Amino acid sequence: MKKKQFVSTIVMAFVLALGAVGVSAATRKSTIRVEGMHCKMCSASVTKALKATVGVEKVEVSAEKGEAVIQYDDEKVTEAKLREVINGTGFKAVEEKSDTK
Amino acid sequence: MKPILCLALVLTAATFVQAQTIQKAPSLSLRDIRGHVVRLSDYKGKVVLLNFWATWCPPCRAEMPDLVKMQREYRSLGLQVIGITYPPETVRGVQRFTRQLRVNYPIALGTKETKSLFDESETLPLTIVIDREGNIRDRIEGILLPEEFEQKIKPLLK
Repeated sequence: MKKKQFVSTIVMAFVLALGAVGVSAATRKSTIRVEGMHCKMCSASVTKALKATVGVEKVEVSAEKGEAVIQYDDEKVTEAKLREVINGTGFKAVEEKSDTK
Repeated sequence: MKPILCLALVLTAATFVQAQTIQKAPSLSLRDIRGHVVRLSDYKGKVVLLNFWATWCPPCRAEMPDLVKMQREYRSLGLQVIGITYPPETVRGVQRFTRQLRVNYPIALGTKETKSLFDESETLPLTIVIDREGNIRDRIEGILLPEEFEQKIKPLLK
């Protein structure tokens, strides 16, 4: 009986560990430089449009730094799509980037 | 007796909350870029979108073709978009820009005070949604997204 309980605990731990690896593998963080974002009043549109994009988990937009830091699920949305969303708000997502997984 | 009393209390509270959240739009009278007077009261019976914008605001410029499209498609259902500029602007600059985009709704010249009549936020663009009875129903900060139009504006047009 004890052996059976031990085996099921090991199996459960293994499944949970697999799940955790899966989540972290899908989450990516990108910093995208946004050109023309001098107007602080206007930067809210970038945050709003990114947050409304499927797969985006967290957004921090800084008009002062001229950048958007985005945490997203790379199985649901690509960085190219995020650039497209930024460009759709009237600003320009610049190609150079720093990227962390 | 008690359940009836409770129900009456709940209904009174609900009415009070609704009365608190629905706010009448203030009266507004501005000059448009053609020199005509635009009065908000002239549009009673229509669903009005007061769109605060500026030529120097990239998201405002990006949003305008969609507003032109909405005005064209939903005019017959009673939608009226009114653009109100936020300073600094020149009449000539606004005229040039709106001509290029073939803007099909009135554009009035506003001030910072005009915007603060409706909202204290420091966001552009800003769209104030006013129902057919002249009540402010929503304040939409940033670009008006298609899903916001579907959820917040379309039901008012029915």
